[in-house]
Amino acid sequence: MNRQMRIQDIRQMFPALSKSIYGKPLVYFDNAATAQRLKSAVNKMESLAYESNANIHRAVHKLAAEATEEYESTRDAVKDYINAGSREEIIFTSGTTASINLVAFSLGEVLIHEGDEIIVSEEEHHSNIVPWQMLCQRKGASLKVLGVDDEGHLKVEELESLITERTKLVAVTHVSNVLGIVNPVKRIVSICHSRGCPILVDGAQGIVHERVDVQDLDCDFYAFSGHKIYAATGTGVLYGKKKWLEKMVPYQGGGEMIATVKFSGTTYAPLPGKFEAGTQNINAIPTLKPAIEFMKLLRDKELQDEIKMVKEYMERSFASLRITTYGVPRGTEPKVPLYSFTVEGAHHEDLALILDKMGVAVRSGQMCAEPIMDRFGVTGMVRVSLAPYNTMEEAEYFFKSLEKAISMLV
Amino acid sequence: MITLEEAKKAVIEDFSMYDEWLDKYEYLIELGKNLEPYPDEDKTDDKLIKGCQSRVWLDAGIEDGKLFFKADSDAIITKGIISLLISVYSGREPKEIAGDDFGFINEIGLKENLSPTRANGLVSMIARIKELAESYSSPKDDEVLTAEDAKELAPLYDNVVLALKQVYDPEIPVNIYDLGLIYELVINKKHEAFIKMTFTAPTCPMADEVLAEVKKNVADVPGIKACEVELTFEPPWDQSMLSEEARVDLGLDG
Repeated sequence: MNRQMRIQDIRQMFPALSKSIYGKPLVYFDNAATAQRLKSAVNKMESLAYESNANIHRAVHKLAAEATEEYESTRDAVKDYINAGSREEIIFTSGTTASINLVAFSLGEVLIHEGDEIIVSEEEHHSNIVPWQMLCQRKGASLKVLGVDDEGHLKVEELESLITERTKLVAVTHVSNVLGIVNPVKRIVSICHSRGCPILVDGAQGIVHERVDVQDLDCDFYAFSGHKIYAATGTGVLYGKKKWLEKMVPYQGGGEMIATVKFSGTTYAPLPGKFEAGTQNINAIPTLKPAIEFMKLLRDKELQDEIKMVKEYMERSFASLRITTYGVPRGTEPKVPLYSFTVEGAHHEDLALILDKMGVAVRSGQMCAEPIMDRFGVTGMVRVSLAPYNTMEEAEYFFKSLEKAISMLV
Repeated sequence: MITLEEAKKAVIEDFSMYDEWLDKYEYLIELGKNLEPYPDEDKTDDKLIKGCQSRVWLDAGIEDGKLFFKADSDAIITKGIISLLISVYSGREPKEIAGDDFGFINEIGLKENLSPTRANGLVSMIARIKELAESYSSPKDDEVLTAEDAKELAPLYDNVVLALKQVYDPEIPVNIYDLGLIYELVINKKHEAFIKMTFTAPTCPMADEVLAEVKKNVADVPGIKACEVELTFEPPWDQSMLSEEARVDLGLDG
């Protein structure tokens, strides 16, 4: 099998990629917002809905047993994939945002008091800022910000002095959804822990491109979404260390999260049920299994080589254009194939609109990360984010289209 | 000047000349580049249209009974779209603009070919044009009242004034009518009341509550079918607008 065939093989697994847009082949470069759906994930959801649809855990009948098995075996698959210590440490949610909100509430209730501090970074997605702001407001705590330098690097060296004895929690992203640089999470975790401070890692982008081993990272929480790794939307994971999950209060009350309910008081279910109140997304959560299988398939050496060629072409081409890119890696520093840029004299929205008419889907605007836009003094950027199914031809076509768009506007 | 219908037709024809949307964008970019400059000092938040990814400012002024629009945007295609709208509607009577259905936008296929956020922006732009046109066209001055009508309306005016006097400024113990906050009160033959009013300061935190109370009190007057309240700060309120009664109450004349 030649190399070109490799990416082409992968493309066959994504029906959406053969779509035409305005009569032109779709070039989907907005993968950081959501990836395209894997056919095997959609099949899984369909077969669960048609063949094994029943509410999990509760009933004794055959369908309920099948549905429960699908759901709980997904927990094991996720646990193995991110190398969590135990399956109780895997909580299913509706996505990264829900995972972070869960921690902000449930840990916040027991850990944060008036006058305490929480640290986030300047390059966070709004989902890793606002839940902490809300927590601070509730508790009379304050939010502190770890800055980003002019090239888009977290000022990790300032973290140590930023943490005080009042700092109770740090929340940073694994990979910024604007800058694409892989943050030195392991180092950040060890700084936090040396100061006795737990840390949550927003893995929404990190899980897509990095091998994540939560025990190796040693982070206290890791949050990610299923839809960015080709599983169904409305699926998400919160990994949390058992010692924290056990201390935390429940997030939502309802069915399944209880042990006994009396009007005199209720006792809660053990982990992970304690945090999974109500009927879960039972038809969708198991799509994480085929998604994980697909993610493992991507580790193929030859395929990785081909993907790398596309990535290097992207990086070379961006460097040759007279545009401003954000998040420039130093030397061999890891950066995911996610590129945000601005063009002098051309508005990000205009560029995205023209690219759209050429069949190229990119993201424009603030990308749910207003603080980092302010940091670089822009009202928005254009972002292109690639997935392993994006080809060299698409990359070439993108740059041709971008140059055409720029020539129309400037 | 060509009629509104002719202006719309011309735009539709201009647009249909291009088969490809890319070419239509080129045309919009050209329009955007040629739009009359909008003074930077007028790019204030109250002129900014909400709901656009790019920033759009839109304002209008009246000259010889005709409304003229000016606008700007930091995105050039948006600027082209707004320029196109302005070219159709500028220089016409506010009433004609306010009464238009803006349906020609659909005929040129703009909405369908914009991203949902941009389409929302377009809807917001049209809403602002309509709003500006409405604020300049009084809904009542096309009526001719007969003596009979006047006789019938007179007691309604009395009762509406009484209803307005039940509403108090949250900070000053004087009712809003005697405070001089009511700039205009018109009741038309359909027994619909139109009120233009102000506040003592533009930053009144209770503004929404007071406006709602005015609307409700007036609408509840027997015989009144509906009530519209418009807020204005032009001219700004000052003490000279107080009624005699209010001046005495506040001890300003003593």
